[in-house]
Amino acid sequence: MQVREYIVRRLLTLPLLMLGVSLLVFGLSRVGGSPIGIYIEHEMTPAEVAQIEERFGLDESLPEQYIAWLGGVVRGDLGWSGVSAAPVSSILLPKFTATMELAMLAALVAVALGVAMGTFGGARRNRLGDHVTRVVAISGASIPIFWFGLLLLIVFYLGFGWAPLGRADPTIYARISHPTGLYTVDSLLNLDLRAFFDALWHLALPAITMGYGSTAIIARMMRSSLVEELGEDYVDAARAKGLPERLVIRRHARRNALMPTMTVIGLSWGFLLQGTVVVELIFNWPGLGRWMTDAVLQGDQATIMSYVLVTSVIFLGVNLVVDVAYAYLDRRVVLGQ
Amino acid sequence: MSRVEHLGAAWPAAGRLRALATRTRRLGEIARESLRNPTTLVGGVIVLLLMLMAAFAPLLIEPNQPNAYQMPRDFSAVNVAPGTDGHVLGTTPTGGDVLYGIVWGSRTSLRLSLIVVAITVVMGVAVGSVAGFIGGRWDEVLMRLVDIFLSVPELIFALAIAAMLGPAFGNIILALAVVFWVKYARIIRGQIIHVKQNEYVDAARVMGDKSWRIFFKDVLPNSITPVVVQATVDMGHVVLIGATLSFIGLAEAGLAEWGNLVSEGQSGIIAGRWWVATFAGAMVFLWSLGFNLLGDGLRDVLDPKSERR
Repeated sequence: MQVREYIVRRLLTLPLLMLGVSLLVFGLSRVGGSPIGIYIEHEMTPAEVAQIEERFGLDESLPEQYIAWLGGVVRGDLGWSGVSAAPVSSILLPKFTATMELAMLAALVAVALGVAMGTFGGARRNRLGDHVTRVVAISGASIPIFWFGLLLLIVFYLGFGWAPLGRADPTIYARISHPTGLYTVDSLLNLDLRAFFDALWHLALPAITMGYGSTAIIARMMRSSLVEELGEDYVDAARAKGLPERLVIRRHARRNALMPTMTVIGLSWGFLLQGTVVVELIFNWPGLGRWMTDAVLQGDQATIMSYVLVTSVIFLGVNLVVDVAYAYLDRRVVLGQ
Repeated sequence: MSRVEHLGAAWPAAGRLRALATRTRRLGEIARESLRNPTTLVGGVIVLLLMLMAAFAPLLIEPNQPNAYQMPRDFSAVNVAPGTDGHVLGTTPTGGDVLYGIVWGSRTSLRLSLIVVAITVVMGVAVGSVAGFIGGRWDEVLMRLVDIFLSVPELIFALAIAAMLGPAFGNIILALAVVFWVKYARIIRGQIIHVKQNEYVDAARVMGDKSWRIFFKDVLPNSITPVVVQATVDMGHVVLIGATLSFIGLAEAGLAEWGNLVSEGQSGIIAGRWWVATFAGAMVFLWSLGFNLLGDGLRDVLDPKSERR
């Protein structure tokens, strides 16, 4: 298969997948029976109930309801969010940027830690350093994020009083303008270094909490692909010409080992996105995850459905970009199949 | 009697005996290698201790009446610090004994993980086998379904399902079962497509074996190893996700479950009452770590490409 053909096929399956996800999400709203329960009250007469059913189209067949809902979604109407007392579409963007800022920094933490740990372990295969990094990485995959976050809070918030809660210092937040909604970027655009460090400061603990959980998968892939690369002929050649091992790894093996690692970075986005749910709850971060947990506890259907839909679209999008980039860079992947 | 049938009639007994001997030897090999591998060893010990705790919970702490999975309340001892008489690990803001929650929580976790893993393995292997072994249009349709399920991150999917069903531990089990089967379907399908191409499968077909017989005798047993590894890892993962859901608030209040305990202890942290969340969360971590190490080690031990050959 040619690279272009592969990319086209991936692009074509994306809308189909999204359609499938939308069916799944619509199905979710019917798992607990008809959503009419939200609107009716005890003293209503059957006639009034029927009126409400008709008003929201709940008297129509399920396929018709699905199409009506999907039509709304396509037009940008995601329903009414009970927890925010506003239309979902009007509050989605600020929450989305808050979550993305956190997730991107967490991804940075995960990639940096994962690549470093994988390289360290791979270069010391089956020696002590390898075993130690393996345990550290597996611990990251096993640790309950909600617990790790609370531990960090106990140490750094209660113990040392270093870490802040929330997203920004209110006074600092108020003194800069917010064109992008990403506070780190906003503060730089305002040329306000204090605000920048304040934003970073608030990001640090939640990003570390989330990032550590995704480190394992990256570290494992990095280690095994580095081990594989170190067995290749070009590595022997580099060693034979007298290059020190450190440089053999840094200049040659690691670069090639990074290629397959890229694909799991896309996968680890799933971990990151689900990590936001609890991390935002613990650190009081005003993003999508916090919004979701509020909605879950109050049974707010429109918010839950929108959240699942938006997260899946981000997840699919990131994976598409990663896979396409990988196929483009490493043609063996597609051509070999 | 044709020649082929004659061979088939004369060999099975000896063949079966040889197969049995090979299998026993292989099991011994796996056991020996697991003991030599530090990862499986440590993971195995952690898992073993936790299983013992779950098995002997009624002997360790007297069960609460009428429902042992509900935390006993001691309203005269609220927010007691660890090390107090009668409450070794302290109590929760509602007077629940943390030690009780931890010991009986291991039973809750065992119940959760066994039920979910059993259901999802059967479901996933069934779907993946149909897709991989029969192939064609079945494969196309089932795998697209799997792709759709995999498009939603699993915690978020499970959270949404459990939220729609309402807060109850049973609903958490159901939600996890709906989410976790897809992985097995994908794994077993890939394996079966690979194994199907082996010459012994062709040989069985030439001998006139029925399809279902080839599947259960030759294909499935040779495809199942990665499923075993994944199931081991998932025994831990299910508890991790389940605890996350109950931490968010989707289990019944007062259930002896670790995520629930962390959630109950969370509010006290600001006031310096660290013990409830710390101890209960550590149990989730240990449980998940034990199965992760065991699974990760098994991956190496069961891998035919590793040093063994």
